[in-house]
Amino acid sequence: MSGDDAIVLAGAAKRFGTHTALRPIDLVIPHGQAVLLVGANGAGKSTLLRLVAGLCRPSAGSVKINGRDPQRFPEARAEIGLLSHQTLLYDELTARENLRFFAQLYGLDNPDERLAAALAAVGLCFPSPVLATHERLDQRVGSFSRGMKQRLAIARAILHRPSILLLDEPFTGLDASASAALHRLLCRFRQEGRTYILVTHRLGEAEGLVDRLLVIERGQWRLDQVLTENSNQLRTLCAPYLNADP
Amino acid sequence: MSFFGRALAILHKDLKAEWRTKARLSPMVFFILLMLLVFNFSFDLGGAALREIGPGTLWSSYVFASLLSLSRSFTDERDNDALDALLLAPGDRGAIYLGKMLGNFVFLLAIELLSLPFFALFFNLSLGFFLLPLLAIFVLGSACMASAGTLFAALSNNMRLRELMLPLLLLPMILPALISCVEATGLALANDCCEKLFPHLQMLGVYAVVFTVLSLMLFEYAIEE
Repeated sequence: MSGDDAIVLAGAAKRFGTHTALRPIDLVIPHGQAVLLVGANGAGKSTLLRLVAGLCRPSAGSVKINGRDPQRFPEARAEIGLLSHQTLLYDELTARENLRFFAQLYGLDNPDERLAAALAAVGLCFPSPVLATHERLDQRVGSFSRGMKQRLAIARAILHRPSILLLDEPFTGLDASASAALHRLLCRFRQEGRTYILVTHRLGEAEGLVDRLLVIERGQWRLDQVLTENSNQLRTLCAPYLNADP
Repeated sequence: MSFFGRALAILHKDLKAEWRTKARLSPMVFFILLMLLVFNFSFDLGGAALREIGPGTLWSSYVFASLLSLSRSFTDERDNDALDALLLAPGDRGAIYLGKMLGNFVFLLAIELLSLPFFALFFNLSLGFFLLPLLAIFVLGSACMASAGTLFAALSNNMRLRELMLPLLLLPMILPALISCVEATGLALANDCCEKLFPHLQMLGVYAVVFTVLSLMLFEYAIEE
């Protein structure tokens, strides 16, 4: 563990009543590392992401983001962007209103510029506040298709330019062009030295995007492997775990 | 962004969403009008009877209507897990409580003011001098219900039987404030406003302040899974 670490979990566990979602685990992710988190349904992936995001408290142990506990230091949460199973958007508000609302909550100085940049990153408009005029931006999110909602959810997650991005099945519902836009976005994240944890069952989507593979099973680590450039490595490494019964 | 800035942003978002959907105000208006109509046919509320039964009629309608609104106050946040996005935002999570509480306060007060002319119409009440103290009682009564109600709505948000749990948790807690509201409204309707009314207003003010401060401290724990 060092001051350069983006995410540090020390003996972090999570129980919901009598159910143990995550057994005490240790994890150190240095700044700039791109991690693929793999596991069967119910293995504890989402719980782990929620702990890191500060959305729940660990039942035991500690979680630190850039050296700070996100529960005790609320400002530490500004470093995190989360893309969840759900969109985390309001169906009654328009796309623009949703993003402006979150820009307000994060206290962003130039919300229109940020909004345009985030939308451009997911292929919804040009990176200029003047040109942020996609035809759907002023329509209610409730009327959007799953793919459009997912694009907007990605824009919301990166709106405040977080240094740590947590992505839970981000490719779900995206068409080919949106998947390509997300792929480009994650490549740019890597080049900029930002950290992310990617959870996906579609290993093909993760190829070339990650430096390290973590496999979790029943709330415990099963594999922690730094990856080389071999593109077949992911499937080979994950095969025994993903094919096993949960 | 400041604590109050974030609370106001959440209030603005809630008001905008409600303006478009009317998901909370419509059932409240319908419920209160129905209650007043039923009471109107059940009791002969003339003269002294109005002062004895009227306040109870009015506040029982408000309390049950407020439960409809309070139970929905976190529904929008539960859809699409939008509450997670609020909890992820940096800063004190008490701002979420304050924004939600202010929204509930506005909705409750609006519904009380909207229903007052119907109350006067159904029960042959001529609106007059007592309007001013009644307004003070409505403001403080709404603040009491919103301050406690928002906390318990957040608490019951993660429960399986949330629609059942909210009234079970909330009604015993707001009983002292509710009694003061009923007593104070009776005094206002009797034009007996000065000395006897003031202690009730004081009690309501203290209740609202104490519950708001307590809720600001407890909200983060109440909203957790």
